[in-house]
Amino acid sequence: MKVDLHPRLGLLFNAYLLMFFIHKVQTGVGVVGLPRIVYLDSKHDAWISVFLAGVITGIVIWAMFIMLKQYDSADLYGIQVDIYGRWIGNFLNIVYMIYLSACFFTIFMNYIEIVQVWIFPNLPTWQLSLVLIALSVYAVQGGVRIVIGFAFLGVLGTLWLGAILIVPMKYADTTHLFPILNIDVKHLIKGIYGSSLSMMGFELLMFFYPFIKDKKSTLLYAQIGNLYTTILFTVVTLVSIMFFAEDSLARTIWPVLSMFKIVRLPNLERFEFIAVSFWMLIILPNMSAYLWAASKGFSRVIKMKQKHGIWIIGILGWALAFFVHTRSQMNTVTDYVAKMGFVLAFCYPVMLSAIVLMKKRFMRRKAANAQGS
Amino acid sequence: MLKVRKRIFFTVLILCVLFVPGCVEQKQLEKLGLVTAVGYDLEKKNVIRGTVVVHQFDPMAQNITKMITTTANTSRGLRQGQNLQSNQKLVTGQMRCVIYSKELAKKGVIQLVDALNRDSTVGNMVYLTVADGSAKEIMDIDKTNSKISLGTYLYNLIKQNVESEQILSPTLQEFNHNYYDIGKDPVLPVLKVQNRDVIIKGLALFKDDQYIAELGPKEHFYLKILSDKFNAGTHELGFKRSDFERIRLKKGEHSIRDVYSKLFIDIDSINSHAKLKLIDKKTLKFKVEVKLDSRLLESTEPLDYSNPSSIKFIEKKLNQAMEKDINGLMKYFQKLDVDPVGIGNEYKAHLRGKNLSKKEWREIYKRASFDVQVKNRIVKTGVID
Repeated sequence: MKVDLHPRLGLLFNAYLLMFFIHKVQTGVGVVGLPRIVYLDSKHDAWISVFLAGVITGIVIWAMFIMLKQYDSADLYGIQVDIYGRWIGNFLNIVYMIYLSACFFTIFMNYIEIVQVWIFPNLPTWQLSLVLIALSVYAVQGGVRIVIGFAFLGVLGTLWLGAILIVPMKYADTTHLFPILNIDVKHLIKGIYGSSLSMMGFELLMFFYPFIKDKKSTLLYAQIGNLYTTILFTVVTLVSIMFFAEDSLARTIWPVLSMFKIVRLPNLERFEFIAVSFWMLIILPNMSAYLWAASKGFSRVIKMKQKHGIWIIGILGWALAFFVHTRSQMNTVTDYVAKMGFVLAFCYPVMLSAIVLMKKRFMRRKAANAQGS
Repeated sequence: MLKVRKRIFFTVLILCVLFVPGCVEQKQLEKLGLVTAVGYDLEKKNVIRGTVVVHQFDPMAQNITKMITTTANTSRGLRQGQNLQSNQKLVTGQMRCVIYSKELAKKGVIQLVDALNRDSTVGNMVYLTVADGSAKEIMDIDKTNSKISLGTYLYNLIKQNVESEQILSPTLQEFNHNYYDIGKDPVLPVLKVQNRDVIIKGLALFKDDQYIAELGPKEHFYLKILSDKFNAGTHELGFKRSDFERIRLKKGEHSIRDVYSKLFIDIDSINSHAKLKLIDKKTLKFKVEVKLDSRLLESTEPLDYSNPSSIKFIEKKLNQAMEKDINGLMKYFQKLDVDPVGIGNEYKAHLRGKNLSKKEWREIYKRASFDVQVKNRIVKTGVID
């Protein structure tokens, strides 16, 4: 397998789209439950944990960029083979493929659970999953530019949902925030870990990198996207802490949707129905991005066409959905994926970039020595 | 060949996407009975009686509303029983008002509120109320007065009073917030039947989820000032006539007459701001600072408004009277062991490195003392001097 990937010029996309793409893949189903998950660990200082998690994400993105810069135009599949050799490298590639497919699976399964709880209690899972998978397969068939464009439209189409947060602010109680930093470091770090599932998605940068047209400005736009996500998540958490009473935030599974419950328009009694429906526009670009990255592995690792990979993952995901029935099962699956993601998206890329840097330096010295002697 | 196959394939795919969503549950308006109000009474031990007012969209029906009563152990059990008595499927998406009988409220209502929270079809802006007698009595109004729909009537009754700042907003959201907050207790309006109409009689004070006492309209004004940041309503204050001798106008007709033995002043606070502050953590001294911008609406004696010093005098008198009232109210809350103002939240905001439980707060609350300061500012005295 070639380490570097040189796609046709017509397949490349502009770096500024990365800004929307990174933000989009980070904001998915996770943010709906984020305030509660972090609150369980770091109590009313949850917003600090979320903010710090965003800062750490920024550092990881920076490490990824350093690693990618060492190569001309490589993705993670290529880099791993280059570093570890064919056997170990490809094994790790398959681990990543499984992880990306698992993310694809958890995104739509979590969304379907929300739809079933909030709008249609009798809706069979397979119907909605069929629609969602079909749509994302269709998008990914269009290629990388469609996936990126979909993310761009997804951001523009759902930007206004953030403005709705003004309404719950009317019921906010600022005393909930004080005293600031009342939690010990251990719980604060636990909270950071808790927010990592929602922050995930930026690791896709390592797969989309070869398709960026002006690779120099990658870091800038990726960081802008991450910054926006961090600010949005922190504000959402802040508002939730002020809006909910102490114990009720710990009990509310989807605090963001529960906050939308109080929004009331003259001819629309229940705003959360609109919010849940619009959430499909938020998760579909995520699903297609993960599906694209996972299926790319089929053409890079196993000598297969990417097109076939899309179908295999799509059908597999649809079939697997029949095995998950209850909320506790879904929780277990999500927990596993979150743990996997923490290792594969946060810890491992930093480690890998250190190895890549060392290797490059070693090679350079070797080359210099060879020249000198 | 391949291209044609591909095109057919994608057409099928898109058709799937278009038509599969049609398979979900359908809800036709004509086949639904919209529950607009629910009432709960305690029938006997372990059994509650539920009454619902249902809004129908049946063009053939004589009445647009219908009342159904059943008994069961849980609110969901009630719903099942009510469904058996209805030709339309009962749905709760348009529920506006929930009434708990006083007897039930005294025992605690959280198990019923929890069922509302759990149900995603119930909105968070549902009004919760307490009936002075039984909830059924209030719901029966719907039968005698078939022109109105009770759910809408109750909704407007409460909404109108919340908007004109007469009562604190009693939505499910606010009840939850105050119940689950450690340093705050909920309050709900008390409804009563009077002359075949439903009126708001007062305000029920809750300790956790249990009804403790009822507050009259006068104290209600102060509670509203203390717990709300925005505008509060109109308020009437009585004074000794001799206190105001200095600024009384001696001219004019009604200055000589004696309709009242006291002097009454009506003010309308257009802007109030209450600040709670913990001054001393050891002695648990709280400072309650209330700033009011108010309009003077009415006084039963002609007073001299043109002179700034006399306005100052009135302000001072108002301050003293209000401070006394607020102090009395705080003492009253302390005696009942309820905290509708949210003093516990303020205490908790200063508590570092420790978690406060509700029980601990109740103990601390008993020892707290308050220093009340009211600053009135009369900004307008009406169109005449």
